Amino acid sequence: MSSPLLEVRDLHVWFDLPRHRELHAVQGVSFELEAGDRLGLVGESGCGKTTAILAVMGLLPPSASVAGSVLLDGENVLVGGEDSVRPHRWVDVAMVFQGAMNALNPVKTVASQIAEPMELHGTASGADARRRAGDLLEMVGIGAEAGERYPHEFSGVMRQRAAIAMALACGPKLLLADEPTTALDVMVQAQILELLVALTKDLGLTLVLVTHDLPVVAQVCDRAAVMYAGEIVESGPMDALFHEPRHPYTRLLFAATPDLYGEDEVLSIPGAPPRLDEPLVGCPFRPRCDRAFDRCVTEHPSPKPVAERHMAACHLNDVPAASA
Amino acid sequence: MRGADYVIKRTAFALITIFVAITLNFVLFRALPGSAVSDLARVPHATPQLKAALTKEFGLDKPMWEQYLLYLKELTHGNFGVSYVNQQPVWNNLRTALGNTIPMVLLGTLIAMVLGIFTGVVSAWRRGTAVDHASTNLAIAFYAVPTQWLGLVLIIVFAKYLPTYGRTNVYLLAPTFWQHLKDVMIHMLMPSTTLALTLYGEYTLIVRSAMLETLGEDYVLTARAKGLTGWAVVRDHAFRNAMLPTVTLMALSLGYVVAGAILVEAVFSWPGIGRAVYESVFNNDYPMLQGAFLILTLSVVFFNFVADLLYFRLDPRITA
Amino acid sequence: MSRLFIEPGLADAEPSKRARGSLLWDVVRERPSAAIGAALLGTFVLIAVFARLIEPYGIHQQVGPVFQRPSAHHWLGLDDGGVDMVSLLIEGARISLTVGFAAALVATFIGGGIGVLAGYFGGWTDVVLMRITDYFLVVPDVPLMIVVAAIWGPSLFHIIVVIGILLWTTTARIIRAQVKSVRERVYVKRARSLGAGNFRLIFRHVLPQVAPLMIANVVLTIAVAIFDETALAFLGLGDPTSTSWGTIIEHAFLRTAMSRGAWWAIVPPGVCVALVVMGCYLLGQAIEDALNPRLRVAHLSVKTFRLRPLAGRSEEAV
Repeated sequence: MSSPLLEVRDLHVWFDLPRHRELHAVQGVSFELEAGDRLGLVGESGCGKTTAILAVMGLLPPSASVAGSVLLDGENVLVGGEDSVRPHRWVDVAMVFQGAMNALNPVKTVASQIAEPMELHGTASGADARRRAGDLLEMVGIGAEAGERYPHEFSGVMRQRAAIAMALACGPKLLLADEPTTALDVMVQAQILELLVALTKDLGLTLVLVTHDLPVVAQVCDRAAVMYAGEIVESGPMDALFHEPRHPYTRLLFAATPDLYGEDEVLSIPGAPPRLDEPLVGCPFRPRCDRAFDRCVTEHPSPKPVAERHMAACHLNDVPAASA
Repeated sequence: MRGADYVIKRTAFALITIFVAITLNFVLFRALPGSAVSDLARVPHATPQLKAALTKEFGLDKPMWEQYLLYLKELTHGNFGVSYVNQQPVWNNLRTALGNTIPMVLLGTLIAMVLGIFTGVVSAWRRGTAVDHASTNLAIAFYAVPTQWLGLVLIIVFAKYLPTYGRTNVYLLAPTFWQHLKDVMIHMLMPSTTLALTLYGEYTLIVRSAMLETLGEDYVLTARAKGLTGWAVVRDHAFRNAMLPTVTLMALSLGYVVAGAILVEAVFSWPGIGRAVYESVFNNDYPMLQGAFLILTLSVVFFNFVADLLYFRLDPRITA
Repeated sequence: MSRLFIEPGLADAEPSKRARGSLLWDVVRERPSAAIGAALLGTFVLIAVFARLIEPYGIHQQVGPVFQRPSAHHWLGLDDGGVDMVSLLIEGARISLTVGFAAALVATFIGGGIGVLAGYFGGWTDVVLMRITDYFLVVPDVPLMIVVAAIWGPSLFHIIVVIGILLWTTTARIIRAQVKSVRERVYVKRARSLGAGNFRLIFRHVLPQVAPLMIANVVLTIAVAIFDETALAFLGLGDPTSTSWGTIIEHAFLRTAMSRGAWWAIVPPGVCVALVVMGCYLLGQAIEDALNPRLRVAHLSVKTFRLRPLAGRSEEAV
């Protein structure tokens, strides 16, 4: 049996805080991706979704400590720290960062920043690399000649397109996109999302899209994992999550999503996520849950299969005839 | 051309600043009550003839605005007045002094810049390590000691090995060009080193904090994600961006270089412009003090202008 | 966007007085450099305040031969007039710190005032005030101080005023930038829409928010002012009737203490200046760093994330 393209197994990330405290940002996340999958990682700010994918690339700060494993094509890339993960960066896994405004170096031309990783990893060099950079810019709809300009001469959406072109420089198998549309105007968000879908289909890319925005996931991904307080509380096909959510948080998230065309008052989930610098007892969502019962106070729910490729971590699923 | 506006603006700023400095110079020395030049009672050893000559030359019997115009007119001819002490035109004295100061300050500043940039970059990159702590604390220590004091301590330590007084050995008669050059270089070593050490501390701290701010930028994370090693990220991405605030801050610290030069020249009797300031304060030689102050201000304005142009070369974002 | 996604901790509430007070306290508690700085500065302030009580000998009293070596009676020896060095240094602390604090207060008052006005009112006020600041930034401080001090004549009061009115430029720029950002915050806008006047807005809402930065600035300016005082004193422009660390160094230099090997007459005053300046720098910089969000992230460091064994953890987590 061939190993999946990406397998994240029981990933934990802690951040050091002052006075010897710790923030347990990611608390045992596991997921798998086959080639061509498009997974959405959804949750509120601070739920650990960005930390989880930064861990995949080994890009965590020195204040972080990591446990668990990240397997790329069956190889555990985190086992040797920075040195074992660096050869995979951009060649196997590339990333489109949140707010591409600042992700490009202001004092270098766009084309030189796209060509840089090619030269570094030996994908192409010199004039060849320049030509490929031009091709990539064409592919994302900017035009090759724009590459000789500096990032500040680009509009926000052009910069985001350039960032996508840059991510494709070394022909990666896996693309991680962290809130790629958040900083953009609503009108142009759709353009970037369409571009991402088209590119992943054309190039056979595997995509992990991190966002707080459910409609974005619905537009791009076929599967989603919902994160809450550092854990994946529910994961499954988009349809199943939307029509048959098995965790109250997922249900409330969909309900809280603003309707693009509606004028209705948006519902919000009352309360705030728990602090992650203290040990959690029971279900982390209990204080905000509208269906919590006594078992949720003391017992931490673990993820269990609830249907075909559909997992949820909620005690309600153990109660016959009750559904989230 | 990109940024023609910027260059014009900065040039205009420099020119206006020069004008403001010249006017300030007039006001400080003439218009303020008890001002030095106008009050002939404060001229040492003034004979009636000298007083009469000065009154005529500066138009001291005329109204203030006429004096001001006369002052401007004389300045355009390079006439800064006459030194009370050696009765030489101030400009002649200053020209010699400037020729002595520039190589000494340049040597010290260059050493400080090279050292400061190197240790600042390394400190920021190795933030929180023993290397960073050692280098930062050393820099703070050098930043914290008074320049003149450091000079005196160096004299105590090195007086046996190196000359600590003046610019040349007066007993070296009829030296060849190379002997003279070597003599001056040896004499320059102590003052330049003193200046370099105090500036090095400040430059290290400036570069370190500029680098730290740069290392928090998103494009540094992007560069690492691309697979660049730590050193390559510093060299290709962080360094040039960190140089932007550094250039400005170093330019602003030029006033500090000037102050350092005055103190260093006073300690080592280096016959430069700083020594001229020191001696003219001592001797109440106000025309010399006025001329020296103007030259120092103009040099700071000039180097700030150079820094503005350098900034423009480094940052493609500047358009206006 | 729904309220759900508002970043926790980025709420628009105005930080309370207590939160701000504890910020300064936290800086000292969490950063060893700030604690060292505060301790150094505090020690010298105590020495300066109780100077007259703890000086072992009179500062004009000849107690032994000129440049006597350090001994059990006179730990740091005697100066060129046979005066006890320890007493002179304690008196020097009193004068140097007085000059430093007073000049820094003058500078902060001017710089803070200009910064607040320029930042708060914006528009023409801002343009004019900042243009003036730009010109002042280019004028080299120390030569101008020398000129003004030389014309006015040497006195402690003159020195304080001269240093004070020339050191405000950096403060003005930093405070202006901060005020500009505070002014746009939600609680200030809300207070304004509730009808609060400019005076009230500045003193109740804006100033308290820039206070920590101003404190950092005062502390850093004290260091520069003490520095400048030693420079002026060294050039013979100090107050001849008082003894500061600067005048002690000057006297040692003029009486050629170096060639007589009397290191004790030169080294200690410089070390005192260095310790106070260091204390100010460490404390001031630590506060500034704590207030600078851009320094909180470092995307590159020689240290990397650590790996942790999962032993015992996985059972607990699942």
